[in-house]
Formats: sequence, C-alpha cells, structure tokens
Amino acid sequence: MMGGPIASLHPLSRADGSASYKCPSTGSNVLGSVNAPVELPGRRDALKPEDATIEVFVKPGTAPSGVGERYVEGILRGALSRIVLGREKGYPRRGVVITLAILGGESIGRGGSYLPLLPALLHTSILALLSASVPLSMSLSATMLAVNPSGEIVRKPSITDARAAASLHVLAFTSKGHLLLSESEGRFNFDTWDKVYENALAVCHGTSTLSSDGDVAMTENMDTQPLEGFVRDTVEDHIRAEYAWKVDAA
Amino acid sequence: MNKEAPLSVVERDFILDALRENVRLDGRSADQLRSLTVSFGEEYGHVKVQLGKTSLIVRISSEVAKPHDDRPFDGIFNISIELTAMGSPAWENGRQGDLEAYVANVLDRVIRHSNALDTESLCILKGVSCWTIRADVHITDYDGNLIDASCIGIMAGLQHFRRPDAVVKDGQVIVYGLDERVPVPLNITHKPLSVTFHTFDEGKVVILDAARKEEQASEADVIIGLNNAGDVCYLSKFSGSPVDALVFVTKTTVALEKVKEINSIIDKALQADLAKRAKGGLAEQARAENDRLIG
Amino acid sequence: MSSPLILLPGDDVPADYLPSNASAPLRLGTGLRLLSQPNPTPASTPSNHVLTATQAGILSTDNRRNAVSILPSSNRRYIPTPGDLVVAQVHHSSADYFHCMITPQSPHALLGQLSFEGATKKTRPMLRGGDLLYARVLSTGLGAGTEVELTCVNPATGKAEPGGLGPLNGGMVFDISTGMAARLIRASSSSSDQEDGVAGLVVLDELGKKLEKAGGFEIAVGRNGKVWVDCSNSEEDAVKATVAIGRCLTTIDEHNLNPTDQRKLVTKVLRDMKIES
Repeated sequence: MMGGPIASLHPLSRADGSASYKCPSTGSNVLGSVNAPVELPGRRDALKPEDATIEVFVKPGTAPSGVGERYVEGILRGALSRIVLGREKGYPRRGVVITLAILGGESIGRGGSYLPLLPALLHTSILALLSASVPLSMSLSATMLAVNPSGEIVRKPSITDARAAASLHVLAFTSKGHLLLSESEGRFNFDTWDKVYENALAVCHGTSTLSSDGDVAMTENMDTQPLEGFVRDTVEDHIRAEYAWKVDAA
Repeated sequence: MNKEAPLSVVERDFILDALRENVRLDGRSADQLRSLTVSFGEEYGHVKVQLGKTSLIVRISSEVAKPHDDRPFDGIFNISIELTAMGSPAWENGRQGDLEAYVANVLDRVIRHSNALDTESLCILKGVSCWTIRADVHITDYDGNLIDASCIGIMAGLQHFRRPDAVVKDGQVIVYGLDERVPVPLNITHKPLSVTFHTFDEGKVVILDAARKEEQASEADVIIGLNNAGDVCYLSKFSGSPVDALVFVTKTTVALEKVKEINSIIDKALQADLAKRAKGGLAEQARAENDRLIG
Repeated sequence: MSSPLILLPGDDVPADYLPSNASAPLRLGTGLRLLSQPNPTPASTPSNHVLTATQAGILSTDNRRNAVSILPSSNRRYIPTPGDLVVAQVHHSSADYFHCMITPQSPHALLGQLSFEGATKKTRPMLRGGDLLYARVLSTGLGAGTEVELTCVNPATGKAEPGGLGPLNGGMVFDISTGMAARLIRASSSSSDQEDGVAGLVVLDELGKKLEKAGGFEIAVGRNGKVWVDCSNSEEDAVKATVAIGRCLTTIDEHNLNPTDQRKLVTKVLRDMKIES
C-alpha cells in the first residue's frame, strides 16, 4: 500500500516561511513559501486599512501560468483569508504573500481540472503559514474524494480514479472540524454529497461523532492517521527540532 | 521594487577590505565554487541544484507541436525562467524585473544558441509535427549566481530527460506512453556551462561564484560560457566598471577547469540516479507481479 | 519544569499551564489571544474566557512577570515591538527624521534627528543613506498603519542606555534568524558558568576566550536578525577575526548546533582562518 503524505517545514532559507508537501495518491508535489508581513508596493491604496491583504501565486511546474492558475488562486485566497488573522500586530495594511510552485506529479493540461491538486496546495499553504508564524485563528486539512460511475466513494483517488470519476469533490475542514471549503465537479445529488462530507470528515479528522453540545469528538481512525493529526505532527516535530536547545535543557 | 535591499556602507567596505586581503565571507578562495549538489526527482528531467545557499529546481517537459514555418526540419526548445517571491522576498510575483530578463537572455545564449540540444533530432514529420522541449527553472532560494546555477540545472535536466517514443505510420504520428515503449533520451551535442566572475577594487580582485552580498558589492560581472573541450560559446560584460582584457584570457582557463569540475559532478549524479532507477525498476516489476497475484 | 507544551493555532491554553499568581494581572505575549467562549453551562465555571494560540509554538510562561506567550518560529520575519534593540540602516533623511530600514520589504522606521545622546541642532550626527545604527524601538503606534519610531537615547535620562546605542562604524553585519538573535541577546547580556551557556549558546564565551589574545571583539545584536561585529582592536587580524565570528554565528544558526558542536566549530573555523588562539 501507499504510505501517508510527506511534508517538511521550512526547507527554504530566504522566504519567511516555507513548506513542501507530497500527496502519495495523486503524486502531486508542491513547494510553498510565505513572506509576511511585507509591504505591497503600488497597491497600498487598494488595501483595507485595518486588515492584511493575502496574495496567492500558483506557478505550474512545466507550463506558463494562465487562467486555471488565477482561478485556483482565487479559491485558495478565499479559504485562507478566513483563517488568517490580518488584524494582529504588524499585519494591517501589509501583505501575506503565498507562492506555490508545483514541482511534481502530472501537470494540469490547458483547461484541465485543478481539483486533484487543491488538497496539496492547501496543505502546503497552511504549513508554510505556520512556519512563518503568521497569526491564524485555526489550522486546516483537506482531502479529495471521487465518486465513481457506480456511485461508490473512492477515498484518496489517484489521477486515473479522478479521470474516471462521475464527480470529484474537495473538502477542507478547520482544525475545529468546521467545513471551510467545498468544491465539486461533475453530476451528483445531495445524498451523494452528504456521504462525501461524512467520508471527507473521517479522512481529515478520523471517524467522528457529533456530541450533544455540537463539538466534534475525534477518535482515531484505524487504518490511517487522519490528516489533521498529520499536519499537527509535522509542525510539532519541526518545533521540537528547532527548539532542541530548550527542550533538551528542560 | 524587484530589488534586494541595498547593502550598508559597513558591508560594502568590509567585503572590499576583506577581498583585498584575499578573504571571502564564507572562507572560500577567489576561484573556489560553493559546495554543489545535483539531484534528481522521480520524473525524468526533474533536477534539484543546490549551490551554497542558492537552490533551484528545473523541470524538463515535452509536447508534440507543429514546427515553425521557417524551420520545418527543426523541433522547438524553450527555456522559461520566472522569478517569484519564493526565491527572495524582494521579488514580486507576476512582475518581470531586470534580473529576470538578464538571466533569461544569458541562459538562451549559452545553451539554446550554442545548440546544446540538437533540435533537428526533435523533428517527427517534416513541417507537420515535432517535439517541443521546455525547460522551466524555479528559483527556490536566491543567494547569488543565478546564471551558473540555472545553467547547471538545465544541462543536467536535458541529459536526464527521456521523451516518449513516437513513430510515423501511414502519415500518422503515434506517440507511445512511457510505460508502453522505452522512452528516448535527448540528443545533446555538447555540454556548455557558464562561469560568472565578479570584479572589485578597480578590477584588481576577481572572484567566481559570488554570493548575493558579494554580487551587490561588486563593480562588474564577466560571464564566460564554454564546454568541456574549451570552446567558448558565450562571453559577456554587460555593465559596470571597465575590466582589463587580460582578465578574460586568464579567467577563461579558470572557467574551463570549473566547467570540467561541474560536468563531472553532473555525470556522477546522473550515473547514481541511473543505478537507482535500474534497481527501482526491478522492484517495481516484482511489485506489479505481486499485485497481480493478489488481485 | 514539565515537558514543553506545543500549541497550534486554535488550541486553548490549558488552565494548569498558566502562571498561578492570581494577584498580579496576567500579561499576554505574542501568539496568544483572549476569546470569550460561548459556555453551554454558564453555572459550572465562573469565567468563560479562554486563551487561544494564534501561532504554532512552545508555550512559554514566566512566573516572575506573570506572563505567558508562544515562542515563535525562529525564522519568522521581525515585527517591531517597543523596547527591542535593532540594527537599523539609514535609507534617507528628511528635515526632522532619519528614515531607517529595519527589515527589507517593510516600511521605513523613523528616527528623530535629535534622538541621540547630547544631540542638539548643531551636534547631531550627520548620517547618510547606508549608515548603520544601533537603536531601540520607541513605539510602534496604536492601530493600523502607524509608523515605527526608533531612538538612540533613553528618553528618561537622555543617555545612550544601554551603552552602544548610536551609529555603528566599521566592522561588519551578518544576517541571522530572529530566533538566533533573541538567544544571542540573552547570551550576551548575562554571563553564565553553566556548561551549556545561556539559551543553549556557548559560542560567544568560547570566541571571547579564544580571541582575547588577538584583541577581543565588540558585538551588537539586533532583534531584527542582524548582528554587528567589530574586531578593530585585532589590528592585522581584524578582517579574519570578524569573518570567523560571522561564520561561527551563521553556521550555528543554520545547523542548530548544540554546545559541544559549537565549541568544535569555533576551533575549526579559527584554525581555517589561521587565527592564533
């Protein structure tokens, strides 16, 4: 079987924060950097005076960027602006510049769907934001699910699965279990989407049960680690290594 | 604003004073390269270059296209480099700066115009279809010497890349998938590389492979592009203070030595990757058979 | 000390990790914010406020100052905070101010032309673009978009306190991470007899011992990730000694070396640079 995703925090030295993320099922490999807070020259007047401006730039690996990239940048900017705290000290009127380069996996052809890459782009962004210490209200995790023509839900679909699917869905959840983003393609009905939602939540947060007070209680899924836990472990490992001088002394 | 923050007077003076004593900030000698590693990714033509703290990734890709009307026998080869805020916070996404245009121009001249890649071999059917080879350079960390590092990445990528096999049958072009037929390496005619020198102190001090702060403190740069045989395919001194002609002569010898050194590092990396793939390929086959047995 | 607690954005700070001093007000540092939580059973707990992390990092508590904060990523960009010492670079000057760079790609900070020890209209330093200063962040203003102001005197005493505030001449500046800068400031302001040094750094003590014969060195660490080093007392070895110190500091930062390796590195670099110790 395939292993879990592979990620590293702060692989680069010039950028304020950076991360790399590789999704085993789709093969997509993304490197991301975050520079924040920085001055955005020339666009000062357009900025909201009390908030930070988030810029996302997606650079395809083997082609010039075009409409597809601008479209996915919009989706990412929308989702990430909900969790970046742009009013914290030092951030108002400044920019949070997120740059994502697609370094591996099958390239998206002209007019091809960007959904298979979206979870990797989201994970790279959140890890890079965490590595740059950009203030966030919470963290996130995301996954793609395919529904095959016979109506079965395929978890962790490969590119081939995605091509054959009747519908494709990317869902992202905050670390508190709220739905942050839902992008779908293809034909499907509400019942299918509900099933997709349950499955996606399970992949991101483990098998979940809604307790009476509305909080989502998490229990570990048996076969693979939930993605939320993966993001957390990646960050914790990095911090432990970085602060080894303090942790060891303690 | 695509410019690095200017150096302070203290930094500029110190770098110059130190060079006069033959001392560089990282302890190197004037003609010493920073540590260089070349490694390859899973896909053909995916190269990672780390030159000191400068790092970049090159990806080579191929596509079937129609040849240019005036060159029906030639394939197409393009180098694309776009500087993003990933390489340096000083670079703005989506805006071309002077540095980007400069680097792109030199890379074009050293590699493309010297015919390092034999474009005639990319022709599939005269005037109808040919291969387009594209080299995308992604700068991931900028600490000086973009040009030499990019050259290394592109040349290593071209040698590593395998394009799908294609045949012409009854006037139809058939392209085979990478798993259907053994993919084909590109036809490389020679292996040119660039070696960049920077001058200081009215041309009295010349160093190679300058780091970012050294570049900023320098007076002028001299770029020499040549191959293992010593054929010079590019020579430039675009701007800055004058440089004695003798520098070009003496430094060409140094450059040749460096090109040989770098090419042997690339060769070793290519061989190591080839050996890894041969092993991995066998394992892959075994796994595929196991899957079949289970399935 | 219990094992360090690592929080991610959105995580609540467990109550038993907070400083227990109830009489003094609790100081909230970076990376934390106070949220009021909708409490389903208001009767059960008197307080419905909760401290939540906004950054990923180790929770750090200071019982003496009754403070709690999150230690940020050591490579993050510097955000000016009043009281911090920084190495600033003059960009240009205007009638009343020097406009200084603290971090690249950030707006300039202002330094009053008279904010120097004993400065008057006639005796103020004449600084030009590219000159360096060791300064303290005076204020960052309230609200959005206000300017950062620097000073080279203690406004209360009119003296350059601590010593060394003002223009930096000669020497060299090296770039380090903001985390390393914070550690170096702690290590250089207090000397320790401990085997592991202060904040896990023995490099300054080690360099101090080994370079004593050569004339010692001066150092000014800026929280903005810049460290100024000067060895002008070393005469003919000044350049080499400065480069050696810079290499030691940047290498330790980059590779996160422990005290044993720091000592080894210092010896190796000094030998490399052919400096007698």
